[in-house]
Amino acid sequence: MSTIERVKNLKENECIVDVLLREVSSHVCKDCGKCVFGYEGITQLEMILKDITEKKGKQTDIALMQELCGMMKEQALCSPGGPGSHQEAMEMTDAILMALDTYRSDFEEHIGKKGCRAGVCKKFMTYHILPEKCTGCNECVDSCEDDAILGRKRFIHVIDQDECIQCGACVEACDEDAIVRAGAVKPRCPKKPIPCKRR
Amino acid sequence: MKLTIDGKEIEALEGQSILDAALKANVFIPHLCSHPDLEAKGGCRLCSVEIEGVDRAVPACMTKAEEGMKVTINGPQAERIRKAAMELILATHPADCTGCPKYGKCELQSMYQYMGVSPERWRKKSRSVANDDSNPLVSHLFTRCVRCGRCIRACQDLRGVKVLDYIKTDVGIRAGIPEGKSLKEAGCRFCGACIEVCPTGSIIDSLKIMKEDRSYAENIVPCRSTCPAHIDIPRYIRYIREGDFEKATAVVREKVPFPETLGSICTHACEGECKRGELGAPVSICKLKRAAAATDSGAWKERAVKEAPTGKKAAVIGAGPAGLTAAYYLAKKGHEVTVFEKNEKTGGQCRYGIPSYRLPDELLDKEIADILEVGIELKTNTKAPSPAELKENGYDAVLVSVGTHQGTKLPLEGNDLPGVYVNADFLKHARMGDPLPVGEKVMVLGGGNVAYDCARTAVRLGAKEVHIACLENEQQMTSTPDEIAEGTEEGILLHAAHSFLRITGSDRVEGVELQKVDKFYFDENRHAVIELVEGSKHVVAVDNVIFAVGQKPEGTLEMGLALTHGPYIQANDKLETSMEGVYAAGDVVTGTKSVIAAIAAGRQAAEEIDKYLGGNGDISEKLLDEEIPNPYIGHIDGFGDQKRVEPQMAEAAERIKDFRLAEQPFTCEEARCEAGRCLQCDLRLNLTKPKLWTEY
Repeated sequence: MSTIERVKNLKENECIVDVLLREVSSHVCKDCGKCVFGYEGITQLEMILKDITEKKGKQTDIALMQELCGMMKEQALCSPGGPGSHQEAMEMTDAILMALDTYRSDFEEHIGKKGCRAGVCKKFMTYHILPEKCTGCNECVDSCEDDAILGRKRFIHVIDQDECIQCGACVEACDEDAIVRAGAVKPRCPKKPIPCKRR
Repeated sequence: MKLTIDGKEIEALEGQSILDAALKANVFIPHLCSHPDLEAKGGCRLCSVEIEGVDRAVPACMTKAEEGMKVTINGPQAERIRKAAMELILATHPADCTGCPKYGKCELQSMYQYMGVSPERWRKKSRSVANDDSNPLVSHLFTRCVRCGRCIRACQDLRGVKVLDYIKTDVGIRAGIPEGKSLKEAGCRFCGACIEVCPTGSIIDSLKIMKEDRSYAENIVPCRSTCPAHIDIPRYIRYIREGDFEKATAVVREKVPFPETLGSICTHACEGECKRGELGAPVSICKLKRAAAATDSGAWKERAVKEAPTGKKAAVIGAGPAGLTAAYYLAKKGHEVTVFEKNEKTGGQCRYGIPSYRLPDELLDKEIADILEVGIELKTNTKAPSPAELKENGYDAVLVSVGTHQGTKLPLEGNDLPGVYVNADFLKHARMGDPLPVGEKVMVLGGGNVAYDCARTAVRLGAKEVHIACLENEQQMTSTPDEIAEGTEEGILLHAAHSFLRITGSDRVEGVELQKVDKFYFDENRHAVIELVEGSKHVVAVDNVIFAVGQKPEGTLEMGLALTHGPYIQANDKLETSMEGVYAAGDVVTGTKSVIAAIAAGRQAAEEIDKYLGGNGDISEKLLDEEIPNPYIGHIDGFGDQKRVEPQMAEAAERIKDFRLAEQPFTCEEARCEAGRCLQCDLRLNLTKPKLWTEY
């Protein structure tokens, strides 16, 4: 499927920024390097999109990508009618321009650090320990390399959202399926560890 | 055809790009990936311009000029594209310009300063690659690569070597050698075209071969700049490779009148600087010269010119390489030249100081005959009158080039016993067919090539056991490794790092007492310091001792000229002596040096004397037409591993029987093969140097 088709047929559980990032990362221009607008252009698009998915987007990024895509389509060696051998390569810029138009609010939500509606971009997700399932076994505490999980044995553990880097290691470590990832709607959890009810 | 750029009308040729036409007309358009000698590709877009009637900016390098075209360089669309392109390049290029070896000479730096842009609005990224100094002669700093592709086009299309290409790495695409090969493995010809066309500091000459006291061109072609006479070495080697020995000899003859002599005995400092030395061994520059000259038919004479008589007279005292060279060029400048030679024959040290197994009489006679042919009066067996007398007798200028023909002895006990000789006498008598008698055992004192000349002469005169002793160790000795190796083959016993204490014997030489040297060096006051090994004294029994510890000028005290360091004639940088109109050149000024240095001095003397006599001092000659060498050198597998060709040499047991020439010249085939090893360092100087905007 072409990038344009992917954008047109975006599914509920897909994030537009994430989809574009994947398309750009495997784009033919990345393996060439013979022209500035193709190679450095794709490099910039990849870096900008990656930043947006990682909560590092800037307010100016939408306009910057629009300008860049316009110049790439016009000036890359593989522009339509140009001397390059991948005449379809710059269709990707059309897809990005279309996406920036159609899904502008999604971009703005990412850039405004509000969230990833589809729940795809990890950096926008938060992890929570459900108090009704936690047994206070300490496995998740041991698995967290950032010491972001508070609590001790037989206390319901709590994730310190300021420390958590959303790596997801604790989910793997928990045998009780007590740790969940949440997008816009967050589960109710205690603020501090409290003694466990379950054994 | 005509077109206008920013309102200015310029001329363009059919098929020429807007960029080429503009630059030719001295109108600057920024550009980076295009190079005057390479096909334009349009990758960088810094040359974006606007054309009336076209709705978008176009690259000037890829757009053909058309009659009546109206071009604007700095229109808003073109400026926007150009600036963005430069910003994008800078966003991934290291910002530490001051730490880059190309600082101040970098085209990228020059171009972004001209445009005044910075990459601030873009994401920055460094594509770090470790610097690679593992290849000979070339350093790769691909962190600085901007993917302009100029090196690749130069290597692929211009040179046809096809080693460099775009390669994919963990940190992205860049220029490089595919499949992780070294340059040598990939078949690189080490021509340096990639270095020459790289706009940034990504591909540069190895810093160790670039010496600060030489100009850029001198560093690029070090053989030519190192040769005292600046013979155009790469040019004649190229003709040899092509099998055109006549032209090769003509190239040599444009600078020196002794090609075959030099090809036989030159000290070839050029080879010490040859860049091919970084790939095993240098090109056999010296012996190639001999191979070419050996088949010389004299065709170069057709182009040799002799100017009309000037009515001026010049006298040259001493018919060695310096004197004969000066006489040759002075005669060609139309002066009436007389050469005075004390000895029976001409040639100076070439005849009387170098054994005939290295430089036979016939060879010397042939080359000197060519020199005398231009019309030089020669007076052999004639002691010249003093310079003052010569001037009184109607000579307008005098050149003293008497060389250093007096051997010296060290102040050693027993140094005047019968059986003690000095180098100059010993070699001269042998050469004249009247050798000084040698016994069974001989010791030569000294560690230079002259010591080997004496020792190998003694072997040929029938001595059964010949020793050489010198203070220096084998690495410090001034004799060439070839001489040492050939001497060893001929049975010469070397006592390197030994001090000579005394010559033993009462009525005649019986032996030499030696002591082992622990350390030998020169202190900060340039005094020799010798530390001896205690208890290592021993006497080597010999019948003759030959001093080969230096030579000095003879007869200079009576010349009425200011002297220096004893008997040496004092001359300034124009070779003028203390007496007006009297010049001095060669060993008599510099102390014993080389034949090529004497020839170079002879050339300079001719220039200076010609100017003194009212001429223009220009002795340069064009003995053949300039030909632009083919830049397409092609790919050769294993080029970097090609071994140096050595000429045929008689076996040592045969060599020592007589004074016949020991080494044969290269065969035609050998010479062409060896010449093919030349890296043709000079080719890259033919590439067009892109002008920076400051030069428009």
